[in-house]
Amino acid sequence: MNYSENILEVKNLKISFRTSSGTVKAVRDISFNLERGKTLAIVGESGSGKSVTSKAILGIQAGNSITEGGEIIYDGRDLLKIDEEEIHAIRGDKISMIFQDPLSSLDPIVKIGPQITEAMLLKNKAKRKNGRIDFNTKLALVKEKMTAAMPEKAAEISVMCKTFDDFNIHGNRMAVSYNEARVKAEEILGDISDYLFMVEKKAKVGTKEMLKKTAEALKASKDPFFSKGETAEISSVIAELTSVSDRDDAAAAVIISKSKALFEKLLSNDVPDFFGIGYYDMKSTDRNYDGMTIAEINEKASEFLNKDFLDSFRSYLSVACEYAFLESVEGKKKAIDALAEGEAYFAGENEIDKKQSAELEKKMSAAVSASLDRLEIHKDSLAYTFPSSVKNATDRYFEWKVKNPREEKRFERQTEKREKLIAKGKQVDWKVLPKTVFDLDMLRGDIVGVISGLKKKYSADIENKGSYDSGRSADEIIAFLREKAHDVVYKVTKKMAKEKAIRLMDEVGIPDSRIRFNQYPFEFSGGMRQRIVIAIALSANPDILICDEPTTALDVTIQAQILELINKLKETRHLSCIFITHDLGVVANMADDIAVMYAGKIVEYGTADDIFYDPRHPYTWALLSSMPDLDTSEKLESIPGTPPNMIYPPVGDAFAARNKYAMEIDFEAQPPMFEISPTHRAATWLLHPDAPKVTPPKIITDRIARMKEKGDAVNG
Amino acid sequence: MPSMDKETNTLRNDEDVLLRVEHLCQYFKVGHGKYTKAVDDVSFDIKKGEVFGLVGESGCGKTTTGRSIIKIYDITSGSIYFKGTRICAGTGSYLNAIKQAKAETASEIAKIRKSGDPSAAERIAALKAGLKKTVAENRAEIEKARFDHKKSDKVYAESLVKKCDEKYKALIAAASDEEEKKKLGKEWRSERRIASKTRLITKIQMIFQDPIASLNPRMTVREIISEGMVINGIRDKEYIDEKVYGILNTVGLVPEHAGRYPHEFSGGQRQRIGIARSVVMEPDLIIADEPVSALDVSIQAQVINLLNDLRRQMGLTIMFIAHDLSVVKYFSDRIGVMYYGKMVELAEADELFAHPMHPYTRSLLSAIPLPDPHYEKNHRRITYNPLKDHDYSSSKPTMREIGNGHFVLCDDAEEKKYRAEFGID
Repeated sequence: MNYSENILEVKNLKISFRTSSGTVKAVRDISFNLERGKTLAIVGESGSGKSVTSKAILGIQAGNSITEGGEIIYDGRDLLKIDEEEIHAIRGDKISMIFQDPLSSLDPIVKIGPQITEAMLLKNKAKRKNGRIDFNTKLALVKEKMTAAMPEKAAEISVMCKTFDDFNIHGNRMAVSYNEARVKAEEILGDISDYLFMVEKKAKVGTKEMLKKTAEALKASKDPFFSKGETAEISSVIAELTSVSDRDDAAAAVIISKSKALFEKLLSNDVPDFFGIGYYDMKSTDRNYDGMTIAEINEKASEFLNKDFLDSFRSYLSVACEYAFLESVEGKKKAIDALAEGEAYFAGENEIDKKQSAELEKKMSAAVSASLDRLEIHKDSLAYTFPSSVKNATDRYFEWKVKNPREEKRFERQTEKREKLIAKGKQVDWKVLPKTVFDLDMLRGDIVGVISGLKKKYSADIENKGSYDSGRSADEIIAFLREKAHDVVYKVTKKMAKEKAIRLMDEVGIPDSRIRFNQYPFEFSGGMRQRIVIAIALSANPDILICDEPTTALDVTIQAQILELINKLKETRHLSCIFITHDLGVVANMADDIAVMYAGKIVEYGTADDIFYDPRHPYTWALLSSMPDLDTSEKLESIPGTPPNMIYPPVGDAFAARNKYAMEIDFEAQPPMFEISPTHRAATWLLHPDAPKVTPPKIITDRIARMKEKGDAVNG
Repeated sequence: MPSMDKETNTLRNDEDVLLRVEHLCQYFKVGHGKYTKAVDDVSFDIKKGEVFGLVGESGCGKTTTGRSIIKIYDITSGSIYFKGTRICAGTGSYLNAIKQAKAETASEIAKIRKSGDPSAAERIAALKAGLKKTVAENRAEIEKARFDHKKSDKVYAESLVKKCDEKYKALIAAASDEEEKKKLGKEWRSERRIASKTRLITKIQMIFQDPIASLNPRMTVREIISEGMVINGIRDKEYIDEKVYGILNTVGLVPEHAGRYPHEFSGGQRQRIGIARSVVMEPDLIIADEPVSALDVSIQAQVINLLNDLRRQMGLTIMFIAHDLSVVKYFSDRIGVMYYGKMVELAEADELFAHPMHPYTRSLLSAIPLPDPHYEKNHRRITYNPLKDHDYSSSKPTMREIGNGHFVLCDDAEEKKYRAEFGID
C-alpha cells in the first residue's frame, strides 16, 4: 500500500447557519487533503470558519447549520452522507478531537478516571459485534467470487469456506478463555499495584484478603496457553503466598510484589496465534503442547495450517481476486462508455433536461457500481462516492437553475421599488440586498469534472491492469479476515480499562497517575487538564486527531510542553493531525501543510516553507506582520477593520475591503486559485499575469531575509 | 533601580522614578494558619515614560503584583511609593520583627538564667529594655504604615484643597467688583469640591484581561467611560460628553458608539472601551493586565499599536503584564521575570533577550514559538527544575546586579558564574 495517500479529503465543502437575521455563510467552498502521517494546519482569525470545518468532519455541527454541499471523504465514505449510526463508529474511534478549552470540555462533576475510560468501555460490545458482521460478510463475498471463478469446484469451495469459519470459531473460543485469564491477570495486577502503593504510603490495607485473592488468581491462571512454561514457578509462589503471615505487611508485600512480577512476565509472554492454533487444535490428530513455548506452538500450528489448508485457500482466493479484478476491468470499460455518454451530454451546448439527466445519472451510477471490485480491501474513494457526488452536483445545478431567475426578479423588483421611492423624494432607509446568483456554466462544469475525473481514473486503471498482483490482494483479504476475527474476542472490563487509562496518563505525562485517576477536573492545572483531554482523545487509538486551538488557553511554557507532547504522540502513534489555530508561531512548529482561511474560504495553501518563506496572499502578509517576533522593532502592521458580515458575503475577494493592495477587480470578482508551485496555491488577483507587481510589507521581507540568514548560518 | 538599602527608610530623590515597589509581599490565607505566598519580596522601580513588562507563567503572581499596586488587596508587607508618596504599606515585616525580637530575648534570658551568672539580673533588665525599645520602634512603624496605607489619599486631597483655597483667596482679594467676586466664588466652590474628592490612586489605572467580563453589561459606553469622572465630582455634563467623545476618537471609536452597550461591540472594540475608560482619567501610570491575551491576532496588533500611540501622545507610563514574550519584547523597555512569587531577573528588554542568565528565563525564552519552520523543527526546549538548577542549601539567594542594570536572583556562587559569563569580574 502506498502510504503517502490522502487519509481524508474535503471537497467543495459549504456550510451555513440559519440565524434570525439571515443565513450566515460560514464555510464557502473549501477543499483540502490530509495526507497520512502529516499535519495540516488551518490558520485564520476567529469567525473564518476553521472550527466549523473541523466540527463538520466530526459530524457535530450545531442544530441550525445547513450543509449546502460538498464531500468529506474518509475510508471510501462520504461523512456528510452516512447516517448517524455509521458516524458513531468513526467519531472518537477513527477521528478524535482535542478541544480548545480544557475546562469546559471535561465534565466537572465526574472524576477524570471514568471520563478517560468511558469510551473504552462503550466500545467493548460494539467492536465484538462489528467484527463478527464484517467477518461474515467478507467471507460470504469471498465464497461467492470463488464459486463464480471456478464453478466446477463449487462443492470444494463450499467445504473450504465452512472449514475456515469453523476453525476460526474454534480458535476464537480458545482465545476467549485465554483472554479471560489475561483479563483476570490484568485486573489482579491493578489490585496489586494499588495494594503496594498503599503499603508504601503506610496506609491501612487488607493484607489477608489480598493474599487470598492473589493466590486464587494465580491458581486460575493455569490456562495451558497462558501460563505455559511458568507452571512450576506459579506453584512455588502460591505456596509462599499461603504460608506467609497476614499480620506482617512488609513480608506480605515482598511476596505480593514477587507475584506481581510473575503476572507481568506472564502478560509479556508471546501471544498465542489462535488463528493457527484453532485449526491445529481442531484438525491435528497428534496435538500435544507439552514442553513447548508459545512461540514454538505458534510456529508449529501456523506451519500445519499453511500446509494443510491455507496454501490451497490462498491459491483459490488469488484466482477469485484475479477473476473479480478482470470482472471489474470489464465493468470499468462499460462504465467508461456510460461516463463518456454522460460527459458528452453535460459538456455539450444543449439545454440540460431534468428527466434525461436523471436517467443518465442513474445509468452512470449503475455502471460504476457494477464496476466496483468489492473484494478489494482498500477502497477507491472516487469510484465509491461517485453516485452521491454526481447526484450532489446535478442537484445543485437544478436548484440554482430555479433559484437564479427568482433572485434576479427579486433584485429587479426591489431596485425598481427603491428607485420609485427615491424619485418621489421619500427617505429610503433600507438597502437592496445584493443578488446571489450562481454561474450555471460553472455548476455544469462541476458535473463534468466529477464524471471526467472518474473516467480518467478508470482509463488509467485499465492501462495499468498488468501491474495487478492477485497474490497480494489475497494476502490482504486474509489479513483483514484475521483482524476481524480477532476483534470478535475483544474485551475490556472496568479494571482493565483503569489500568489502560493509567498507562495512557503516564504516556501523556501526568505524574502520580494512580492518585490523579480519582480526582476531579478542577483539581488539575490548565496544562494537566489539556493532557487529560489529549488522553481521552487518544483512548480509542484514532487515525486522525483534530486539535482545535489546543494551546490558546495555556501560557508559553505549558504551550511548548503540550505541542511537544502532540508531536511526540503523532510520531509514536502514526497519527494524522488537523491543527487549528490563529497563532502562526505555533503552526511553524507543528505543520507540514498550511491552509490560510479567511471568511470561509481558503486563500492560500502550501507547505510550511511556502507559507512562511514565500507568502503570496495579502491576508497571509497581514497575519504574519501583525505578530511581533523577537527582532521586530518597527510599527506593527495591524489589519484595519473587521471581517465581513457573512450574511452578505462580498461579491469579490472577501479581504478586499481591508486590503491596502486591493485593486478594482478585487471588489468585482472572486479570484481563482493561482498555482505558484505544485504544492503552493493562493487566491489573489495579484498573481494574475496582468496584475502590477507588489512586494510584501517590509516587516515580512526583512524577517524572511533574517530567517534565511539564520538558516544559512545553521546549514553552512 | 530597586533601592536595596534597608537602613535608610527614606526615599531617594530620583526625579524620574514614578513608581517604586519595595519588598512587596502579598500572602493569602488558605486556612489552618497557612499562607500562599503569591508575591514574595518583590522590588522594582518604574521610571517615568517607560513601559515595564512583567512576564511569567500563570499563577506566578504577576497579576497579584499589579492588583496590589492599585490597592485592590491590602498588602502583607513592604511599601509602594507613587510619585514619592507612600500609597501602600504593609505591616507584616514589622510584626515579624517584634515576634522575632521577643523570641530571641526570651531564649537569651533563659540562657542567662541557666548559666547562673551573678550579674544576671542586670543583663536581663538590659535585654528587656532593648526589647521594649525595638517593640516601640516597630509599633511606631506599624502605626505609620497604617496611616500611610489608609490616609495617604486624604492627605493628598487636603493638600490640593489647601492649594485651591490659597489660590482663590488671593484672586478674590485682588478682584475689584462684586460681580467678578461672585463668579470666582462659584468657581472656587466647584474646584474645591473636585479637589476634595481627588485621590492619588486615580492616577494609576488598570486595563483588565477579559474585555467582556470587565465591562458592566447594563451601562452604556458613555456611563462606563464617565463613571470615574462622576465619582471624582465632575458635574458638568457638557464637559463630560466632550471628554468622552474625545477619548472615543483617540482610541479609534466614533462618538456614536457612546450610546451603545458593551455587547454590541466586537472583542477588539471592547478592549478599546476598557482602554478609553482608564485613559480618560488622565493617569500617570497604566497597569495593563494581559490586555491582548484574549484577542485575535490581527486585533492584538491593533490594540498594541493603540497603546503605543497613546503612550507617545499622553506621555503614559505603562506596566505591561503578559505571558506572550514576543509581545512583551516588542512593547517593553524593561522586563521583569517572575517565578512563583519571586522576581528572578530584571533587565532592559534587549539585554534580557540577548543575555538571559537565570535558568528560568532561559527556559521561558526557549519556549517562544517563532514563525520560522526550519528554526522550530531543529530547536530544543530547555526545561527548568528549581531543585536541580540551584543549590540554595547553604546560602539564600538575593537580587544582585550583575552589570548594566541587569538584576538576577542568585547566591554568591551563581553571581560569580553569571559575572564570568557576562564578561565582568
